[in-house]
Amino acid sequence: MANKKEETASFVLRFTQKVFQSEAGEPEVQWRGNIRHVQGGEEKRFSEFDDALEFIREKLADLTILAMEDKSPEEQKGILAKSFDMWKKMALTAPQLVLDTIKDPKKQMEQMQTQFQSASENISQKLEETIAQKVPIDDWRVSSKSDYKNLVNLIEKLSMNVDQLNKKVDKMSKKK
Amino acid sequence: MGNFQVWREGVLISGKEWGRDKTVQLFQFLIGSMHRRALHKEQIFDRLWEDLDTKSAAQTLKVALHGINKTLEPDRKKRTEPRYIKRQGITYQLSQEDIWLDAYAVEQYIKIGNEAILTEPSIAIKVYREALNLYQGIYLPNRLYEDWSSGERERIQLLILNTTVSLGELLLEENPMESVRLAQEALLIDSTWEDAYCLQMQAYTKKGNRPMAIKTYRQCEQVLKKEFGISPLPETKKLLQTIEAK
Repeated sequence: MANKKEETASFVLRFTQKVFQSEAGEPEVQWRGNIRHVQGGEEKRFSEFDDALEFIREKLADLTILAMEDKSPEEQKGILAKSFDMWKKMALTAPQLVLDTIKDPKKQMEQMQTQFQSASENISQKLEETIAQKVPIDDWRVSSKSDYKNLVNLIEKLSMNVDQLNKKVDKMSKKK
Repeated sequence: MGNFQVWREGVLISGKEWGRDKTVQLFQFLIGSMHRRALHKEQIFDRLWEDLDTKSAAQTLKVALHGINKTLEPDRKKRTEPRYIKRQGITYQLSQEDIWLDAYAVEQYIKIGNEAILTEPSIAIKVYREALNLYQGIYLPNRLYEDWSSGERERIQLLILNTTVSLGELLLEENPMESVRLAQEALLIDSTWEDAYCLQMQAYTKKGNRPMAIKTYRQCEQVLKKEFGISPLPETKKLLQTIEAK
């Protein structure tokens, strides 16, 4: 059996928020991040959250590979597939959370805080002290309309690309 | 902060006296929460010795507690209560009254400085200096790869970064070269800290060294591009334009 420490990956994630006026005079917000894998000591900086997710995925894959060194190749294949499936689910949810936060940081933080606070009533005192401290969200500003517009445009563009690809695949299937 | 060292009544305790690493580990873990809360034994098992079963973890805790008490109070009489480790039922906490901790002192200095920064800048300068003098390096560097120490390390490092830049800003008029030194200290902790580049640019400008101020901007630009793929903030660009126009 693997040592429990070899089954654990911890990450320290730091976000630095920069609120500034663009050269056109519009209020803007920028996030800069830093993620560190505690057990390995490796660090990565990012401005796109996907890069942080990719970093986590790599480290978790390493952990899975390490944990199944003594398994047969068939078992290894199965475990890896399941591990990736779980990761895919998480990776799909996490960026949505970030997008929602960018869209309406106040609302998202309020929701998260309510969830944290109700959860913290039932769990250890330690958790209460760590996450129940309110962030001064009243001081936050909602990101500008153009931030949101840019995101929506990007998502629409991606959806169109996916649609086009689907059509192409359908055509090819019919031809066969 | 920096190398882990403990003094007992003014005398440095040697590594040999501590004995097993688990004794030191438990003491360090208790230090991290001594000003906030008592720790339940299950919390200690869970964070420090999760790979041990409950029985072995309980035995390890007993041995490590004995080790700490023996190291801190070698002459304690039998059947007397330990002075430094306060036990209440199954929770443990180090005595706040009897232990002085550098990380806690740093935090208190910074707190006073932050309260005084607008109204009494001279006090802020004094206490920020005290705080930074106490800072000898990252929190518990020998536990860098153990996750129980990560939160405290990150928290203290951010406090130090912000304080270093704030002190540099306070000294900008009076001693710009000290501000340059402080900016460089901050950049040694985090090479992408844009506030530190701005401070260094302003300090060099005050000193009349325009080329170095411009060079600092170029460094900032390069580092941000390399690490994040982004440009400096418009206010940093504006600062460069002001310097170039001089």
